Amino acid sequence: MRQGSERSAAAVRDDGLRRISRLTWRAGAAGVICSAVIAAAFGHHVKSTSPATSRPSQGSILIPAQPPAAGSGSGQVTSGAS
Amino acid sequence: MTAVAAPARDTFGVFGTTATLLVSEQAALAPARAIADAELAAVDAACSRFRPDSELSALNAAGGAATQVSELMADLLGAALRAAELTGGAVDPTCGQALAAIGYDRDFAEIRAAGVPRHQRAGPVAGWRNVHLDRGRRQARLDHGAQLDLGATAKAWAADRCAGLIAARIGCGVLLSLGGDVAVSGPAPADCWRVRVTDDHAAGPDAPGQTVLIRSGGLATSSTTVRAWSAGGDPVHHIIDPATGEPARSRWRTVSVAAGSCADANSASTAAIVLGEAAIEWLERACLPARLVSHDGQVQTAAGWPAAGPERVTR
Repeated sequence: MRQGSERSAAAVRDDGLRRISRLTWRAGAAGVICSAVIAAAFGHHVKSTSPATSRPSQGSILIPAQPPAAGSGSGQVTSGAS
Repeated sequence: MTAVAAPARDTFGVFGTTATLLVSEQAALAPARAIADAELAAVDAACSRFRPDSELSALNAAGGAATQVSELMADLLGAALRAAELTGGAVDPTCGQALAAIGYDRDFAEIRAAGVPRHQRAGPVAGWRNVHLDRGRRQARLDHGAQLDLGATAKAWAADRCAGLIAARIGCGVLLSLGGDVAVSGPAPADCWRVRVTDDHAAGPDAPGQTVLIRSGGLATSSTTVRAWSAGGDPVHHIIDPATGEPARSRWRTVSVAAGSCADANSASTAAIVLGEAAIEWLERACLPARLVSHDGQVQTAAGWPAAGPERVTR
């Protein structure tokens, strides 16, 4: 009677450990999937909000935020060689 | 501060040329000028080729030994090396010997007055890769006899620096032109800053050219027509082609470029003179709006530079 009871307790413990192992694996897999989804969403967001006139990295000559527009009449200053 | 209809203006001499300072508030003019004076004096003390006490003169005289440099000089050298790298070496800070060889070894006013005999041809410049800057130790070193001249970048860089400091410290809109290298910072006027582009910055506001409007960044013009003189009977100018060590023989007499900063605009306009025929494609690829004037006065534009009216540049 006592021996049967000990076997049953061991079986319950092993079953619990198997369940915990399965849950741990599923939680890990879910984390990887969520990370991938977040990374994809974040990367898409950054790309889609970059304006066409944004400044390139330090490795390029900086383009103007707005190109010069046509003016008329005299200038307030003159850009020429000195 | 309350914006005024017309910006307040101050004009003064610096670096052997003329500076124009415009600020959006009258009350900002005096403190803005004080900031500009202090910064420009510091830049001159750091990198003038004609001052024996400058850091640049010490570096040129060091015979290749490592030399301590100030933070300001490190920034100026960094800007020159950046210009060289981004223009593929078309704008090179090691043109010191080449400029001396054509007589540009003193203040330009003296050269223009007296002319100079032609020295020996210098040949290709040592090249910017022989300039070593250790920012951490604040040391610089020149290899293979390289001699620095920061004239191609320091003025435009100084314009950016002064304009940025004035806008940040005073909180006004500012335009600073140093000999035609134009930097703007802070809030622009509602109708933008109006800049007349032409061959000579000292020409009047109605000189032959084109008026454009800018709100930010910088605009610079390089030309072979103004800082030009006779060396032993040869007509020469100050824009050196690093590949030959001689004044650039360019298709263009004048190039104006708008960029995100005055320093970059100036690098691009100088590079365009050196690149000659290839300049338009280079400017288009870099998305830099530009206006190029050939020796016969024909105007071409690149990368979205605005069309002018029926105006045609003549000389």
